[in-house]
Amino acid sequence: MPAIYLEAAVVVLGIVLMLMEAFVDKADKSFIGKIGIVGLAVIFLGLFMVEGPKDSNAHWAIWSFYAVDPTALFYKGFALITTIIVLIMSLDYRGVIQHYMGADQEKPQAGLGEFLYLPLFTCAGLMWMASAKDIVSIFVSLELVTISFYILVAFLRRNVGSLEAGVKYLILGALSTGFLVYGLTWLFGLSGETGLAEIAAELGNEESPMNAHPQALLFALALVIVALGFKVAAVPFQIWVPDVYQGAPTPITAFLSVGSKAAGFVVGYRIIEPFITSDAAPQLVTLILAISGATILLGNLAAVPQTNFKRMLAYSSISHAGFLLLALGCARAAGDDVKVEGVMALYLSGYLAMTLITFHVMCLVRDQLGGEEITTYNGLSKRSPFLAGMLLIAMVSLAGVPFTAGFFGKFYVFLLAMQSRFYVIIAVAVIGVGAGFYYYLKVVKAMYWEEADDDRKVTVPPLAKGALIALAIIIFVLGVYPSPILNFFS
Amino acid sequence: MVTLNHYLFVSGLLFTLGLTGVMLRRSLIIIFMSLEMMLSAANLSLVAFSRFNLVDGLPNYNGQAFVFFIITVAAAEVAVGLAIIVALFRARRTTNVDDITAMKY
Repeated sequence: MPAIYLEAAVVVLGIVLMLMEAFVDKADKSFIGKIGIVGLAVIFLGLFMVEGPKDSNAHWAIWSFYAVDPTALFYKGFALITTIIVLIMSLDYRGVIQHYMGADQEKPQAGLGEFLYLPLFTCAGLMWMASAKDIVSIFVSLELVTISFYILVAFLRRNVGSLEAGVKYLILGALSTGFLVYGLTWLFGLSGETGLAEIAAELGNEESPMNAHPQALLFALALVIVALGFKVAAVPFQIWVPDVYQGAPTPITAFLSVGSKAAGFVVGYRIIEPFITSDAAPQLVTLILAISGATILLGNLAAVPQTNFKRMLAYSSISHAGFLLLALGCARAAGDDVKVEGVMALYLSGYLAMTLITFHVMCLVRDQLGGEEITTYNGLSKRSPFLAGMLLIAMVSLAGVPFTAGFFGKFYVFLLAMQSRFYVIIAVAVIGVGAGFYYYLKVVKAMYWEEADDDRKVTVPPLAKGALIALAIIIFVLGVYPSPILNFFS
Repeated sequence: MVTLNHYLFVSGLLFTLGLTGVMLRRSLIIIFMSLEMMLSAANLSLVAFSRFNLVDGLPNYNGQAFVFFIITVAAAEVAVGLAIIVALFRARRTTNVDDITAMKY
């Protein structure tokens, strides 16, 4: 089965659910989410039987836009798993959605159906982004993701915070699109090609305008880095992140911080990597390392004084982007034993598990206790020992304690930086990790050592329990045995 | 004789104007308009690059095809974007960015 069928299946599933939402006369709309979860799980199984072009001269024109390699397959699976968990989260969050969508006696579930099928279109975009290897397909898939996120972020249209987050994301997202398009235009102008492989091949051509005008090339790459910096939340393009993360519905915040970031890094890796490993733009590595150092430092230090849990996680997400950028910057010196792609995939897999656990707990707490401040989590261990335990695992892993996925992610990034002899940036990163321990463990302290204001319990639905346990298992397995992911790319 | 440089200069001017508009103007509608101008700047330089990078005596049509994608995506972006701005106006009775300050720091 050609790999392209996977995206087609996700889009078809989304359209079918959209029609079912409109025409199936059922009072409880949560069936849409459940069908979506099952459908995506089936498509995930399809991932193991896909094939790429039979030979390099395949006639089907789509193959010049669409890569089928380990990176593409890995991040397609990544997008599917993220979307499945996001749908489970959305089901647990429905009380909040109905409240802000003006649900009444007549329409008790207004807006819920739309909230449950829209993530599928984002998922199709993320999967396409994992495969995009032509500037046209990169642009179109990135915009599919961004535009569907505009809708989802601003979804709670009677909640001022969500609308405001939506407008901020819209303006800054569109601005980054402008930068991206302009940068890609110049890449096209310099190379005369739209395929990334062909553009990289032009680097070897001495007479190509790309080598004759290094300033123009650097200009194009800087614009692309600005645009991707917006997508992955790197300093100084991180200004939108705290506000958007805080205002957006929690499942969508989780989706943004995992799905959008991972896809941004795949595209970034595909575009930037050939230029880092060649001599065409030597300033590029310095630029990426400077951004990465600033991102790690600002993300971690700004997270320390936060009192809103969601906002704190927004800064934490910024700091993780810094570590991933550091890995990208090491692409040149990386040996064959530890590949940059493998390290980024390992980091992102651990990040997926711990971030989704955190946001899932946050959805349940918001739905049942009605707050997102860290003080809401006071005494969570009494309200629900299970959720407190899960959040403890996620926080410890985010901080990077050994035997969790977060530790190995950071360990391999440091290893790459040591091999590349980037000692200054390692010192900066160590400060960042140290600050991280403080604010992550602040949440743990609230859960276990502070007293709750009342004795309300938090109940966990069985589906959520299953998802949380599965994610926790991922954290521990990657914490002791990371080699499957590292070897996946060699 | 109009050369590639002339086109690129105008396109750069459009891009800069758009960026300045986004940063300095305070009305969401004008900001959105400036954003569209930045995309038009890219379109102009794509067509210029395509016209002046001849392949076998013909323009490089890849660039011009890319322009169609940009126009289409920009239209989709405007549809969603204006809807969000209208929703914000109904909730807050303003489209001035200085008033959108529910979340800070």
